[in-house]
Amino acid sequence: MSRRYDTKTNAFSSDGRLMQVENALEGINQAGSSIGILTDEGITFACERDVSSSLLELSKHSEKIFCLDRHVHCVVSGLAADANLLIEVSRVHSQRFRYSYRENIPIQELVRHVCDIKQRYTQVGGQRPFGAAFLFGGWDKTFKFQLYSSDPSGNFAGWKAIAIGKNHVAANSFLKENYQEGMTMTQGLDLAVKALCKTIDTTNPSPDKLEIMYMTKNEAGELVAKTLNEKEVLELLQRNNFQVKQKE
Amino acid sequence: MSIFDYNGGGIVAMKGKNCIAIGADRRLGQQMKTVSTNFKKIFRMQDNILLGLGGLATDIETFSAEMEYKLNLYNLRENRKLKPTAFVSLVSSTLYEHRWGPYFVSPIVVGLQDGTPVISTYDSIGCTTDTENFAVAGTAGELLYGLCETYYREDIPAEELVEIIGQILLAGCDRDALAGWGGVVYLLTTDNLHIRELKTKQT
Repeated sequence: MSRRYDTKTNAFSSDGRLMQVENALEGINQAGSSIGILTDEGITFACERDVSSSLLELSKHSEKIFCLDRHVHCVVSGLAADANLLIEVSRVHSQRFRYSYRENIPIQELVRHVCDIKQRYTQVGGQRPFGAAFLFGGWDKTFKFQLYSSDPSGNFAGWKAIAIGKNHVAANSFLKENYQEGMTMTQGLDLAVKALCKTIDTTNPSPDKLEIMYMTKNEAGELVAKTLNEKEVLELLQRNNFQVKQKE
Repeated sequence: MSIFDYNGGGIVAMKGKNCIAIGADRRLGQQMKTVSTNFKKIFRMQDNILLGLGGLATDIETFSAEMEYKLNLYNLRENRKLKPTAFVSLVSSTLYEHRWGPYFVSPIVVGLQDGTPVISTYDSIGCTTDTENFAVAGTAGELLYGLCETYYREDIPAEELVEIIGQILLAGCDRDALAGWGGVVYLLTTDNLHIRELKTKQT
């Protein structure tokens, strides 16, 4: 009986649209925002934590930013459970590549693998698409630092700067106006935090709601990834003239 | 001839005072022909874990890659480092996964858990032996045992341990036609990992 409705989830509407995919995309637009910036010195991610209850037992690692391998990280927007599954898939895929070729997986290949899976759920099987969008950032020897976004449709694109999630339209137009070629990491961080604060409802952001990290190469030429601690986030906000709300 | 003797090799590991050392020869052979003199048999799995492998060379390479694969995924999922005792178990279970088509390797795991040295050896299908003092592997294994028994004592300091392992390796592998052609010793202390290359006679 329910089979009558199953085929509808992945069928075209009369005007050639996939309604389920569009609904999934809408879901992302309600989720906590994420910003990614590509600079000459590396990549920075800034995101807003979805839930920030004082009752929540804060885990040591992030709920939004994940390491996929030593040379690539991702940020999640949308349904956490859907994202976690895809993150597990990417990690295994990256390790399998490393096992076969004894090398870092090219970022685009990793992104494509995840997106191929997402696309499958928009065409086959009658199951709903993944309600998760990602920003992938990393370094490989072919294209150096790269930033990609992917959405529930399975589409992906490379960016210089991108915002996804809540108020991404406003954030993206802000990025378009203010992005410059040849920025340093510091300038990238400034731009990211300004764009992020554009998406958040309050005018006085609190550091515990924000998560900011960056990937860059150190003097030895090694790739390092660093997440800003609360004090550093506070300094970054104050440097950009935001009135910071103190934690109660 | 046994499949374990095809490529040749000698690995020796010994506990010291809050430190541990593992040494291996550098020969890669095809029965009596020597093909390479810088073949890697000791792998740094983590800051405080080393894996030495004797046996068939292709399996040495593949098995170390499989352990690295599993260790990386553990780090990514758990967001923490693997304890040496956990790695010891991981090697054992991985070997047993291939119970009916085993890797022809003789692994030695060497680690420092909270400053305490850990050594484990296995047969090719995962039977673990936690040794108290030293471990050997490879075609030169039996020859290395004698020297280990002679030179081992409790709480050898780090600088001395490197020397001892080096001498044991050189003398032991000298007696084995299939092992030798250089040596490398890894010394693991709580501060760092020190790698020393040994020069040998060209035999």
